Amino acid sequence: MARSISMEAAGLTLAFLILILTISAASSTNQIQILNAERRIDLSSHIVKVFLTLKVENVMTAPASEIVLAFPPAQADHLALVKAQAAIGKKKKKSYVHLDVNPTELPDAPNGTKYFSISLLNPLSSGETATLEVLYILTHSLKPFPAEISQSESQLVYFRDSALILSPYHVKQQTTFLKTPSTKVESFTRVEPTKFAGRELKYGPYEDRPPYSFSPVTVHLENNSPFAVVEELLREVEISHWGNIQITEHYKLVHAGARHKGVFSRVEYQSRPSFSGTSSFKHLLASLPPRVHSVYYRDDIGNISSSHLRSDYRKSELEIEPRYPLFGGWKATFVIGYGLPLEDFLFESPDGKRYLNFSFGCPLAETVVDKLTIKVVLPEGSKDPSAAVPFPVEQHLETKYSYLDVVGRTVLVLEKKNVVPEHITPFQVYYTFKPIFMLAEPLMLASVFFLFFVACLAYLHNDLSIRK
Amino acid sequence: MGSQAAAITSPVPVAWYPTLAILMLAVGLIVTASFFIYEATSSRRNRSLAKELTTGALASFFLGFGTLFLLLASGVYV
Repeated sequence: MARSISMEAAGLTLAFLILILTISAASSTNQIQILNAERRIDLSSHIVKVFLTLKVENVMTAPASEIVLAFPPAQADHLALVKAQAAIGKKKKKSYVHLDVNPTELPDAPNGTKYFSISLLNPLSSGETATLEVLYILTHSLKPFPAEISQSESQLVYFRDSALILSPYHVKQQTTFLKTPSTKVESFTRVEPTKFAGRELKYGPYEDRPPYSFSPVTVHLENNSPFAVVEELLREVEISHWGNIQITEHYKLVHAGARHKGVFSRVEYQSRPSFSGTSSFKHLLASLPPRVHSVYYRDDIGNISSSHLRSDYRKSELEIEPRYPLFGGWKATFVIGYGLPLEDFLFESPDGKRYLNFSFGCPLAETVVDKLTIKVVLPEGSKDPSAAVPFPVEQHLETKYSYLDVVGRTVLVLEKKNVVPEHITPFQVYYTFKPIFMLAEPLMLASVFFLFFVACLAYLHNDLSIRK
Repeated sequence: MGSQAAAITSPVPVAWYPTLAILMLAVGLIVTASFFIYEATSSRRNRSLAKELTTGALASFFLGFGTLFLLLASGVYV
């Protein structure tokens, strides 16, 4: 009798728990309500930076541990980086804590929406609010229109987005600000209330919008910032324990703006620089580490002498000028190489492994890299290579045969697509190396010379004369 | 991390590479010269294989290290 009652009670609690779980899983998008959302879109360069400030509130009883961001599928393809941080404290004591952002999937995504989930540090209890700041970067999102322009025309581009912030949650109040590079905006879609003044286009404030509300807008604006895109960048980092790190970078640079049509008149380009070639660029700035030596800049033809290297104790700046200014659709392929002292980048970790601390990304300022490959060539005799990179990259191993190599050098290859300047962060490559292996090279040379002496002895000691 | 972790440097100071290259090659060439002078001046009966081999080994040691430092001093970091 008692046993049957306790079994019944156990069964009831189990059913109750399952019910609670299913309700909470099904209504997770109703759990959070965005009280205030402010989005600032910076269109000053060809890399679109969006700053999103969300004030979220947990309206249900269960604690919420993550906030989900939604992106339309076309925008999600061009997303280079999503970063989130939480503001802690008020006014003067404000500090920011970095939050993890991971791509996620929700079961009933309308029209192929892509999601990213921000993991909160402390779960949000019922009725509690939190302020999150999100930064996401879009590349290749400014479409030149007209697609072809002549030398003396200015570059106009389309930017397509939504006046309402796409979100799986109910948004109580939201505003979107667009910052344009100049005051010239050809046209923009009006979604009342809309205001355009100076360099700022304001959409909003909009009250009480249901989840997944979307209102497409198109802004046709003038953007003459240099659309420098590196289609492929191959960076080779060769470590030599004798005191040098040699970097070789192969660039395929293209101007990704409105294509140039018609003739290129050098006379007009040089005589009226503010009128002719406003969207073209001829200088590129590369930020290199300090104490760099033996810098070279060359292409298939040979050395390119139009470059300047300025270095101080904190950084070195290499300003390069390709052989011709780059107009829309024009390409330039070149190689930049330099050497760095070993002690600035190679360290020993407490567990006896050596690691290289180097910066990921492209040294050129304000450029998008479509495909970045970093090859770290470890010295001969290195074992167990592994990489620690703050964002997901593809890794694999190769072998390279270089000077005085017998078994070959292990190469750790890291690949990433869609790299922006915000990806310039340090990464580490760990490996084990016994210092005695460094003797292999001079002993190899000494044994070659010894073989020569033994051959001399063999010749001198043997009588090779034909006649006695 | 950078201030706590020990930086790894070359076992020989980089500034010494050109001097070491010239010194070691000079010594190596002198010992090579003494090897060939010994071969030329001694007759077949007086030759001692042990002396020839040690001179050759010493010469090849200095020449080997001298070539390494020569390569390093000229920028070929092997």
